[in-house]
Amino acid sequence: MSVEIFLVLGIFLIPLAGIAAAIYLVASRRRDG
Amino acid sequence: MEPDALVRDYLGRLEAAAWPLPAERRLELVAEVREHIESALAESGQRDEVTTRNVLDRLGAPEEIVAAEAEGMDRRFGAAFIGAQPAALGFRWGASEVAAIAFLTAGSVFLPFIGPLVGLAFAWSSTQWTRRQKWVATLIVVGLLMVPVIALMGARVSVGA
Repeated sequence: MSVEIFLVLGIFLIPLAGIAAAIYLVASRRRDG
Repeated sequence: MEPDALVRDYLGRLEAAAWPLPAERRLELVAEVREHIESALAESGQRDEVTTRNVLDRLGAPEEIVAAEAEGMDRRFGAAFIGAQPAALGFRWGASEVAAIAFLTAGSVFLPFIGPLVGLAFAWSSTQWTRRQKWVATLIVVGLLMVPVIALMGARVSVGA
């Protein structure tokens, strides 16, 4: 059961973590160049 | 003169010269230039007086940087650094930046765990994001990656209890 929780959460959260960080980096970049 | 004192003096002159700029932009400009100096010194592998003076000389006078900024010029000063990746006051999409975003998005899907971490490594190697922005991105990734680990640990504790 615990491994299933780990896998299910991991499958959803790993892409979510990366995409959230990417969105933040793109949105917060300096635009005044 | 101590290298750190030289940098402090240069940044002080920059801040003083930047008085016509909005306060927020002035602080940002000083932070950006400080970061560029630090990365140039780090890349040169030396932190003595001569190297520091060379880095500052190649940057140009603080007044020139402010003038370029005030005129909204698309001025690059990255070429001033020895072996450093060219950087500019504005954002530049280089290989590190594209790789960071690619690994954080597609990499997260196709390379679980490794993808986002490689993306973060590229983001940290970039000179285009500030240290604060890199830390926030790192916390987002690490924070969300910790959720399944904590859930797994929690489930193990409850099973063991």
